[in-house]
Amino acid sequence: MKIGLGRRYAVYLSAFTLVSITMALVAAGFVSFRQASILQTQIRNAISTVQSANEEERLRGTAQYLAGRLFNALFGLDVERIDEEIQQVRRWLPVRDFLVTDASHRVITDGTEAKLSFGDTLSGVWPTIDSGALLMTDATGRRHVRFAIQSGGTLAGFAAVTFAEDPAQSSLRRIDEQTSNLWAGHRSSLLILLVMAFVFSAALGAITSARLSRSLSRPLADMSRAAKAFAQGNLDHPLPTDSKDEIGELARALRTMSQDVRTHEVALKEETARLRRAEAERSELLADLARKNAELERFTYTVSHDLKSPLVTIQGFVGMIGAELGPSTPEQIRRDLGRISGAADKMQRLLADLLELSRVGRIVNPEELAPFADLIRDAVELVQGHLTARSVEVVVQDGLPEVKVDRRRLVEVLQNLLENASKFVVADRAPRIEIGFRAEDRAFYVRDNGQGMDPAYLDRIFNIFEKLDPRAEGSGVGLSLVRRIVEAHGGRIWAESVGPGEGTTFWLTLGPECFDVPGPQISSSSSPPKDVDPSALTRGDS
Amino acid sequence: MKHRAAITVALFSIFAGTCAVETAASAVRTKVLRFGVIAFHANEPDRVLRVYADLLTEMARRLKPQGFEVAPLVIARDLPELSRLLGRGEVDMVAETVFVTLDLQQEPLVSLTPRLAIVRREEREYHTVFFTRKDGAIRSLEQLRGRTLVLQAERSTSAFAVPRAELAGHGIPMFPAGQPRAPRDAASFVFAGAELNQAVWVLYGRGDAGAFNEGDWDRLPRKIRDSLTIFHETRPLLRGLVSFRTGLDGSLRQAAEAALLDVHKEEAGREALRKADGVTRFDRLTDTDRASLSGWKRALSGVTGTFK
Repeated sequence: MKIGLGRRYAVYLSAFTLVSITMALVAAGFVSFRQASILQTQIRNAISTVQSANEEERLRGTAQYLAGRLFNALFGLDVERIDEEIQQVRRWLPVRDFLVTDASHRVITDGTEAKLSFGDTLSGVWPTIDSGALLMTDATGRRHVRFAIQSGGTLAGFAAVTFAEDPAQSSLRRIDEQTSNLWAGHRSSLLILLVMAFVFSAALGAITSARLSRSLSRPLADMSRAAKAFAQGNLDHPLPTDSKDEIGELARALRTMSQDVRTHEVALKEETARLRRAEAERSELLADLARKNAELERFTYTVSHDLKSPLVTIQGFVGMIGAELGPSTPEQIRRDLGRISGAADKMQRLLADLLELSRVGRIVNPEELAPFADLIRDAVELVQGHLTARSVEVVVQDGLPEVKVDRRRLVEVLQNLLENASKFVVADRAPRIEIGFRAEDRAFYVRDNGQGMDPAYLDRIFNIFEKLDPRAEGSGVGLSLVRRIVEAHGGRIWAESVGPGEGTTFWLTLGPECFDVPGPQISSSSSPPKDVDPSALTRGDS
Repeated sequence: MKHRAAITVALFSIFAGTCAVETAASAVRTKVLRFGVIAFHANEPDRVLRVYADLLTEMARRLKPQGFEVAPLVIARDLPELSRLLGRGEVDMVAETVFVTLDLQQEPLVSLTPRLAIVRREEREYHTVFFTRKDGAIRSLEQLRGRTLVLQAERSTSAFAVPRAELAGHGIPMFPAGQPRAPRDAASFVFAGAELNQAVWVLYGRGDAGAFNEGDWDRLPRKIRDSLTIFHETRPLLRGLVSFRTGLDGSLRQAAEAALLDVHKEEAGREALRKADGVTRFDRLTDTDRASLSGWKRALSGVTGTFK
C-alpha cells in the first residue's frame, strides 16, 4: 500500500506525541506513586506510634461509650435496638464477636439474626460494676474487651467484645486500603489520560496528515505529475511555483529548467536543421566531386589513350631518322635522338600507368575466391626477377585466409608492394620480406627490412607521382594504384616505419564482404611472424 | 349612543356568563381521587411517600384516559386524623389493615366500604399465634387470666388488635399492666416494641405469653423459638383492605378499583406494587371474605377503643 509523505509524517508526529505524553504520564505516575508510598509509610509510622501509645486508653473510652449506648436498650430488654447498636459498632470497629449478656453473663444477643449464642453462659473473668473495662489479649494476639453495662450504679448486663485484629493494625489496614484505592484511582486517571492522549495523538495525526497532504504531499504530487509531463515533452504543464517554501523553490527551479530545456530544444532543432542542410550540401558536393572525378578519369583515360598515338608516331619517326642518318651521323645527333626516344618511352610508360590507374574502379574483373597465399605466389612469380637479382628472401605466414577479390588486381597490389620492398634494400643486411595476417583487425601486412623512411612521409607515399627518392625507378603511380585497388575492395592501406634504416611495413585491409566465404574461418590464433617459429614460414619462391 | 353601550354591556355579560358556566363544567368533569394513609411515626412521611409514589403514578396513568386524576398522597399522623379527613371528604380511598379499617368504620363521621383485599408477599391471609415458654404452665387462652401478655405495639394488627379481639371473643378482658382498675380475672399486657423483643421478654419472664402472626414466629431465631411453644392460633385474617369513602362518585370508584385490579398485570405495575410494602396484587372481596370480616367486626365490637 502506498503511504503518502504527509500521512507518513503525520504518523511520525502522532507516534512522537504519543510517546512523549506517555513518557510524561508514566513519569508523573512514577513520581506520584513514589511520593504516595513515602507518605503512606510516614502516616503508617505516625499512626502506629500514636495508636500503640493510646490504644488501651482508647479501648477503655470505647467501652465506656458503648456501655452508655447500650444501657437503655439492655435495661428495657430491647434486643432489636441492641442489635442495631452492635451493627453500628461493627461499621467502625473491626469487631469479630460482640456479645451482650444479662447480669448473669447469659448471652441475650450476639447481634446476628440467627442468635446462635442466645442463652449461653460466658465464663472467664468479668469486670465489676465499678472497675471499668477489662482488657485482655489471647494467644493469637486478639484483643478482648469486657465491660459492665451500667448507669448510676444500676447494672443492666455485660458486653464481651472480641476484635478481629489489633485496632491500630485495622486503622493501618484501612489506610493501606484507602491508599490502594487512591492509587487505583490514580492509575485509572492515568489510563484515561493515556486513552485521551492516544485520541489526541490520533486526532493530531489526522489533522497533520490533512495539513501536510495539502501543504506538502499535494505540491509534491503536482511536481511529480509535472515531471512526468516534462518527460513526455509537455513543458507547459503547470507547477506550484506560488509556494514560498522549499517546494516553491524546487518548482521554480523546475520551471527554469524546463525553460532551459525548451531553449536548448529550440537550439538543438536549429542545429539539427543546420546539420541537415550541411549534410545535404556535403552530399551535393560529394556527388559533384564524384561527377568531377569521373569526368577527370574519363579525361585522364582519353588523354592517356589519345596521347599514345602521336607518341607512337614520334617513336616511329625517331627510329626512322636514326636508320636514315647512317654511320656518319654526328654522335651529338645520335645522343639527342636517343634522348628523344628515351623521353618518348618514359612518356609512354607514364601514360600506360595513368591509363591503368584510370581503369581501376572503372573496369572491374569478376571476383574470385582464392587463398591469399595463392595471390602471393602469383605476385612473387611476376617479380621473381627483381627478387632473385637482389637475393630477397620472401617469408609467408601459414594459414592465411581465403579471400573473394578481383584476383588480378590484388596480385597487382602485392606485386607493387613486393617490387617496392625489393627496391629499397640495405646493403649490409640480407633483404627479407615477410607477408602475414593479423586476425584481430583482419589486416594483411608486407614487411621488409629495407631502408625504411621518416614517419613524416608515410602519408605522402600514396600520392600520385610522389617519389621520396627522385632517383628511384618507376613513375610514382604504383602506390597510388595500390591504394585505389584496396579502396575499391572496401579496404584501407597504410605504412608504418620507425625511421630510416628500420624497414617498412605496409598494412592492408579488405572489406568484410571479401572475407564472407564458405568453409573454415580464420582462426584468431593466427599470430604475426615475430611470435612464431621462423621455420613455420614458407619461402616465397618455392 | 346609550343603546349601543347597553348592547355592548349585554353582550359582554353573556360572554362572561358563558365562560363561567364552561369553567364550572370543566371542574365538575375533572374528578380527583384522593388516597390517604397513616404515618404512625413522625419520621415516616418521606418513607410513605416513597413507598406509594410509583403506585400513584400507575393509577394516574390508568385513570387519566377516563378523565380522572389522582391527587398527591394524603398522609395522616394517626387514625383519628384519617377519620377526620375521611369525614370531610378530603380522602376517598384508604389501604389499611383489617383492624384499622374496622376502627375507621366505627367512627361516627366516617362511612367506609372495603372493596378489595390486599395480597402482600403472596399471602392473602394470616393468623396470630399465642406462645409461651416451653417450660411454662400456660396451655390455653383461659390460663391468661391474671397473667401478662407481651404484645408488640398498639398499631399492630396481629400482635395487638387480633389478640385483643381473640381474647374478647373468649370473654377475657385485657388491660394494660399496672392498671389499678383492672378486674382480677382480666389479662394484662405490655408492649415490647418488636416481635423479637416479645419472645425474649417471655423467656426472661417480663410476661407470661406473647402473640404475633405465624410469619414472625417462623422468623424467630431457632434457638429462641425452640425455647417457646405455641398454645393457641386464631382464625385467618385478611392481610389488608382497600376501602372507599361511601360518598365517592361511583364511576371514579369503579375506575379506581379496575385500575388497582389490573396493576399487577404489567411489569411497571408489579414493580410499583413491590415498592408499596411488598404488595403482590389486589383481589375483589369474596363473600367468604365479607363473612370473615363480619366475624372480626363482631369480635371487635366487644372491645372498647384504644388504650392511650
